[in-house]
Amino acid sequence: MDWISTLLQAPTTSIFWQLVASGVAVGMIYATIAFGYQLTFATSKTLNFGQGEALMLGAMLGLTLLPYLGYWLMLPVILIFGMAQGAVVERLGVRPAIETKSEFGWIMATIALGIIFRNMAENIWGRDDLKFPSPLPETAIELGTVRILPAEIMVVVGALLMMAAVETFNRRSIYGKAFVATSNDIDAAGLMGIDTRRVITMSYAMSSMTAAFAGVLVAPVTLTGATMGAVLALKAFAVAIIGGLDSALGAIVGGILLGVIETLTGYYVSTGYKDVPGLILVLIVLAIRPAGLFGRRTIKKV
Amino acid sequence: MARALPFIGAGLLAIGLFAFPFLAGQNSYYIHLVQMMAIYAILILGLDIVVGYTGQVSLGHAGLFGIGAYGAAVIFHHFGMGVWPGLLVGVIVTGIFGAVLAVPALRVIGPYLAMVTLAFGTIIQIVINEWTGLTNGPLGVTLPPPRVVDFADWRSFWQSTLGLKAAEFQRLEFYYLCVLLMLVAILVVNRVVRSQYGRAFEALRDSPIACDCMGVSVYRYKVYAFVVSAALAGLAGALFSWSERYVSPNTYNFELSILFLLAVILGGRKSRAGPLIGAFIIVYLPNVLSDIELVRIMAGMIAAAALVALGIIALRSREKLVRALPPVILCLAFLPLTLNVNNVTDYRLTIFGLMILFVVFYLPDGVMGFLREVFPVLKPRHVTAAQPAVASAIFADRGLADAKTLLRVESVVMQFGGLKALDSVKLAIAPGTIHGLIGPNGSGKSTMMNVLTGIYRPTAGAVYLSQHRIDGLTPSEIAGKGIARTFQNVQLFGEMTAIENVLVGLHHTFRSTLMDAVLRTPRRAREEAEARARAMAILDFMGLGQFAGTEARNLPYGKQRMLEIARALALDPSLLLLDEPAAGLSAPDIAELVEIIRKIRGHGITLILIEHHMDVVMGLCDTVSVLDFGQKIAEGPPAKVQNDPRVIEAYLGGTVAEAAE
Repeated sequence: MDWISTLLQAPTTSIFWQLVASGVAVGMIYATIAFGYQLTFATSKTLNFGQGEALMLGAMLGLTLLPYLGYWLMLPVILIFGMAQGAVVERLGVRPAIETKSEFGWIMATIALGIIFRNMAENIWGRDDLKFPSPLPETAIELGTVRILPAEIMVVVGALLMMAAVETFNRRSIYGKAFVATSNDIDAAGLMGIDTRRVITMSYAMSSMTAAFAGVLVAPVTLTGATMGAVLALKAFAVAIIGGLDSALGAIVGGILLGVIETLTGYYVSTGYKDVPGLILVLIVLAIRPAGLFGRRTIKKV
Repeated sequence: MARALPFIGAGLLAIGLFAFPFLAGQNSYYIHLVQMMAIYAILILGLDIVVGYTGQVSLGHAGLFGIGAYGAAVIFHHFGMGVWPGLLVGVIVTGIFGAVLAVPALRVIGPYLAMVTLAFGTIIQIVINEWTGLTNGPLGVTLPPPRVVDFADWRSFWQSTLGLKAAEFQRLEFYYLCVLLMLVAILVVNRVVRSQYGRAFEALRDSPIACDCMGVSVYRYKVYAFVVSAALAGLAGALFSWSERYVSPNTYNFELSILFLLAVILGGRKSRAGPLIGAFIIVYLPNVLSDIELVRIMAGMIAAAALVALGIIALRSREKLVRALPPVILCLAFLPLTLNVNNVTDYRLTIFGLMILFVVFYLPDGVMGFLREVFPVLKPRHVTAAQPAVASAIFADRGLADAKTLLRVESVVMQFGGLKALDSVKLAIAPGTIHGLIGPNGSGKSTMMNVLTGIYRPTAGAVYLSQHRIDGLTPSEIAGKGIARTFQNVQLFGEMTAIENVLVGLHHTFRSTLMDAVLRTPRRAREEAEARARAMAILDFMGLGQFAGTEARNLPYGKQRMLEIARALALDPSLLLLDEPAAGLSAPDIAELVEIIRKIRGHGITLILIEHHMDVVMGLCDTVSVLDFGQKIAEGPPAKVQNDPRVIEAYLGGTVAEAAE
């Protein structure tokens, strides 16, 4: 058990906090993607299994547009692209399945669309990982003994801003109220004259928009490539399960928890096993508390 | 003819597969191709149990396949063990992992399950990659040519009788092993899905809650389904590693799981031929894709077929034309795409993705489903019993009729958050009576049903059946003790026939094990025959005899309600709970229902009846309890309760004085 002794050595405390800091940054990305899952789950009880590809497309397209538009002008284009991509997924894969009440249908269809997007990206941008230049300086900021990259701070701030923006939209605007109404009771909302099908499309648009934005945020911190989304999306689902599929706060707490556990595992155990604890955590949470740590338990009606 | 069709098909398949190496002129490329199809077919047959029968999406089957492959490879790598121990280890280890995977999968459904299995598959891949000491990590393991039998012993046979050289025989023996095991897998899966296990799998797919209330534990049978499915995946994996003679971690990835799922749905769920078709397509497709000319020809053929289909549809109806347009455009778009691209292999996944979309939305029952529509002779025949059991043998007595009170509910409280749905309710049900439970909507009647059957665990209080405390038991345990129920909103097993629905209720009469089902022992055959005779008798008793072979979802509504009662009776209940059995029935149907309820009581079964039709309640019940806002406000003979001022107030509102005015 040499990792325990490593952990106990005094000078490592600063490394420990260093790892926690980068864990938080990664965790916020998970939280943003998990937040995207929550948006579509709220309106239609469906999820986009190709959420990781929405993220990847955001990052790849962002990288392509960067030389022409510059970083800040590229962002709104990516957001709009994300919305369009989400709407396409909903119309092609989810709506026909909702109409035939086929759970198997939307799961398989969003997976299929996901692998199509990924394969297309491989053919357009190649199979190698690319470097995404950060708009901020590459030198680390020192906070006490901990060194943090500006890009990591941007991930945290950007993710929080994005979630705050969507939440504000939902609470303040009339479209947002339609969204909330549909989430609470889709049948009643439909009877009140809300076009729930359009609300569902909108939720997919917003969900993919947050994912695309998360892609641009995370790209400078990790490598950018066609397969970058798959593992992120799976772990974000883990976060959504840990935090519950109906709690934004749960997503943030779950995301940070998972991010920190992962970076610690990566350092103290082995980088190869970095992805394992999160996935095991999901299996355990589901076995013990299927509604998630923060989720509301629903009463089954017979 | 139709009865013999499966046997003819199986016979032709077996002969074809055994003759194939000689027909193919010992061409090792084609022999290997068929061998791969056989291996994949074994896995897909198993995956169909999870996907088709229990209705769950598993994205972890590539992981299970990998465990089987590595099971065989690792014991060779470390201990030099050959094919046979490899297969054994592959099957057993993967079966155990199937049970492990089932544990988190048990409590979740749908998208959660899909993600859980995906997480499982990912973990397996990572562990295979990282645990170098066991698996040799990313380098993989290389295996020698497989040895199935000690072929020197058989020298005279293969040399003089078959006229083969040693090398040829060595190559062929593994082919024959794969093909033989595939035929065995078909037989095993066929027997399992037609036994009470298969019925339990389908029941938990169509209505988990009703399944539990029929005494068939959803929990247990999901584990069985996963274990059988995993064991087959493990067998396929072990064969795969000896077939390829090389294993490496990256083979067993997400795309492979998707490919397996594509094969299941493309071939067609719930059939034996479907997985064979699916396996053929996924093995053969990559070969097609590597030949661009062939792809173009096929794309041209698909486009032509789509145009012809469009023409036929256009002649029939305009409305259908609009619906048929997207898939036709999809098919047509293939052709220019293939003409433009020089290397289709790079677009392999896109093509798989498009195929999944196409199958999910336009061919949901797969190729076999389509063939069954076109040639109805291919539809699976529904076996119904020839001879119903004699009437006296319909119900088995549980010997509880002598108890003074059959069911005792002691101060039960059921609290949901701040709401007390049941507030210290006491009930005592005398054996052999019909006890009415009435009250306005939301008064707690259905909550009481759910407490009695174990779906809810009461916040406080106790429930006794005869002398045994039953609150806190699971629904399937309570059902096993003799409480059966029907549901307010019909919860039948829709894709199963009427007689199969009743057979799920008779599940408790089976003592035979999974092994009995696989080996088709005399015990299992006898139990099945007895159960079918009883099921038929129960259907006759309920006036449903003529519908025995009809799928429950296709029955008229009134008959569905009757079938629910029939299924509940199959449980040999000492207490039968009917939750609004007359709701939505026509007047003649209600008269028939009343008659049947009397007959059921005549057989010594105690009933609790929730009902809004007051004439039914007043005409049938010996005692009536009235609930309002979770409290019992009155109890007694129907005539007395009917005139109770508090009951009138609860139903009509206002005070008694107002009502009198």
